Amino acid sequence: MGAIRKLVRSDRIAYLFVAPALLYMLLLVGYPILYNIVLSVQNVTVKNINSGEHIFVGLDNYIRLFQNGILSQSTVNTLVFTIACIIVQFLLGLLLALFLNRYFTAAKFVRGMMMMPWMIPMTVTALMFKFMFSTNVGIINQMLLALGLIVSPIDWLTSPVTAMIAVITANVWVGIPFNMILLTVGLTTIPAELYESASIDGANGWKSFRHITLPLLKPTIESVLVLGFIYTFKVFDLVFVMTNGGPVNATQLLSTYSYKLSFSLFKYSDGAAVANVLFVILLIASLIYLKFTYADEEGK
Amino acid sequence: MKKLLAILMCIVMISCGLSAVAEGKTTVNLWYYWENLNHQAELDKIIQGYNSSQTQVEVVASYIPFADFKKQLSIGAAADMLPDIVILDNPDHAAYASMGIFADLTDRLAGWDGLQYYFDGPLNSCKLDGRIYGIPFGSNDLALFYNEDMLAAANVAVPTTWDELVAAAKALTTDKVYGIAMSCLQNEEGTFNYLPFQWSTGEDSYHINSEGGIKALNLYKTLSEDGSLPKEAINWTQGDVMNQFISGNLAMMVNGTWQVPTMRETVPDLHWNVTYIPKDTQYASGLGGENFAIIASGHVDEAFDFLMYVTNPDLIATYIGNFGYIASRSDVASQQFIGDDVMQLFISSMQYAQARGPQPEWPSISDALSTAFNKVITGIATPEDAAAEAQATIDGILQ
Repeated sequence: MGAIRKLVRSDRIAYLFVAPALLYMLLLVGYPILYNIVLSVQNVTVKNINSGEHIFVGLDNYIRLFQNGILSQSTVNTLVFTIACIIVQFLLGLLLALFLNRYFTAAKFVRGMMMMPWMIPMTVTALMFKFMFSTNVGIINQMLLALGLIVSPIDWLTSPVTAMIAVITANVWVGIPFNMILLTVGLTTIPAELYESASIDGANGWKSFRHITLPLLKPTIESVLVLGFIYTFKVFDLVFVMTNGGPVNATQLLSTYSYKLSFSLFKYSDGAAVANVLFVILLIASLIYLKFTYADEEGK
Repeated sequence: MKKLLAILMCIVMISCGLSAVAEGKTTVNLWYYWENLNHQAELDKIIQGYNSSQTQVEVVASYIPFADFKKQLSIGAAADMLPDIVILDNPDHAAYASMGIFADLTDRLAGWDGLQYYFDGPLNSCKLDGRIYGIPFGSNDLALFYNEDMLAAANVAVPTTWDELVAAAKALTTDKVYGIAMSCLQNEEGTFNYLPFQWSTGEDSYHINSEGGIKALNLYKTLSEDGSLPKEAINWTQGDVMNQFISGNLAMMVNGTWQVPTMRETVPDLHWNVTYIPKDTQYASGLGGENFAIIASGHVDEAFDFLMYVTNPDLIATYIGNFGYIASRSDVASQQFIGDDVMQLFISSMQYAQARGPQPEWPSISDALSTAFNKVITGIATPEDAAAEAQATIDGILQ
């Protein structure tokens, strides 16, 4: 009895409580990451995956993949895709959040409706946008033609630049609700009294947004941006269904490229190497996010 | 309450166990990827026939979508969770055989008199280093489909050469209709449809940076620049191409044998016909089809028994036509589709049909080829540059 009481009082019992979670993390998160790293410095392909003759090749896979150009292109594509998506969906999300934060009758209903894109399975969204962006039968070209904005149909999904615009558009549509709802939550934590006293002092509209809303929303904005980066950076299904990385790698992201190497070309080690590039970039983003959160908590 | 649950659980488990024992049959799992409902129903019929013909083995088929099939097979191989039999795309056969997951059937088939009837192309796709790792299921090939009404309206003759093809496609193209399309996907499907053109110049699959390879790429370029070949074809599967054709959006298409039953059923009033794929110097067609393979770690004996059942020539004759396939063995194929001009053209086209591979690295070679014609169609690279780049990749693989 005494021993247990002693154990409970000491700090050591705390380790016991975190042990299940730690074990879980080690097995289901740590092991795959480690395995992926090991795989990426070996030469595993379809030929030797079962034989077990896996030779250590060091960083050869990384060097070769960067040299052949598609990995660099995928990295750039992923960054362009992510940054463009984040900027547009953040701005639109913020505008909607500010608008719906006003108290009018339909606000709640509209806010609920705005969540719809977030609820729809990604594959369905991707197929929907694929049809909409179709050159000959897609509604987007039909509308643009009817309005006289273009003379001939645009090859949305089959020209490099427009294909990227198309997948970004689809992803922004999905991402807006996420940004909007988080920013709305942030807005509701700002006390109304601040705006009241500011308006008595003569600050209205832009001024109160600039000097009250923005500073107080800063922690939320930071979270939204970093989380948005992480979510967008690893997007796979949307692009896989809409363009499958094409035309000719124009929309090839790190995620789709890794998938292609592993499961279409059976180069498992190469696929793992690409996945690790993705992992490292996301790790940096996560560390930045953690730094922000710590800074905020200490600030309080 | 807990006790009650426990008792219930026991009863459920025991009864499950009992039913398995009562059946006394070994379960043999089979994976296939046909999305076509007719194909699924036909396969089901064959399997039901086998299951009720004996008391030892119960074959259970599972559908895996084509896009996921290779992935499932690779994951299954790594995780040791494979079925007992697969029906797979023949160009992939060598890659998986070299992985060591397929049972070597050479000795078992040595005394089988059926083997001699099989066509070389399909049978070779089952081989690796002279050993046999499967039996062909059935074959198909490609031909040029054309809309007879559209050709008549535009007063265009059925093209037989590339020059005629380019001219015909251009003449048939209108505001609403494209002259020609074939699947130009950047994957095996696209490669399958492209290679007949490269072969037609007398070139083989592995030398795209040659006079013939560049000429074939230039054909795609011309068709695309003329506006006869929709750029969207780079996102079309062969099924998509067929749907565009039967919807009247295409005047001609390159497509395969297996589309014929569906087209006849869906658009019985459409006037269409088939001819050889127009040639440069010689006719060529792509040999497609599926093979049976037995997984080495599975129930090999039971699976082999099933294979011997389904490859019985009398049985093949009852189902292979319903799949829209040509039998892979001459004795059955010669009796097929008598009086059916469309299917006779496909059978006759078989003499020009070439196989892809067998080559364990085929997926990577196919990727290099399909990247090349995608670059040409989208205008990202000239045929010369695209060919040189693809060749560098292929040479790197083959050295």
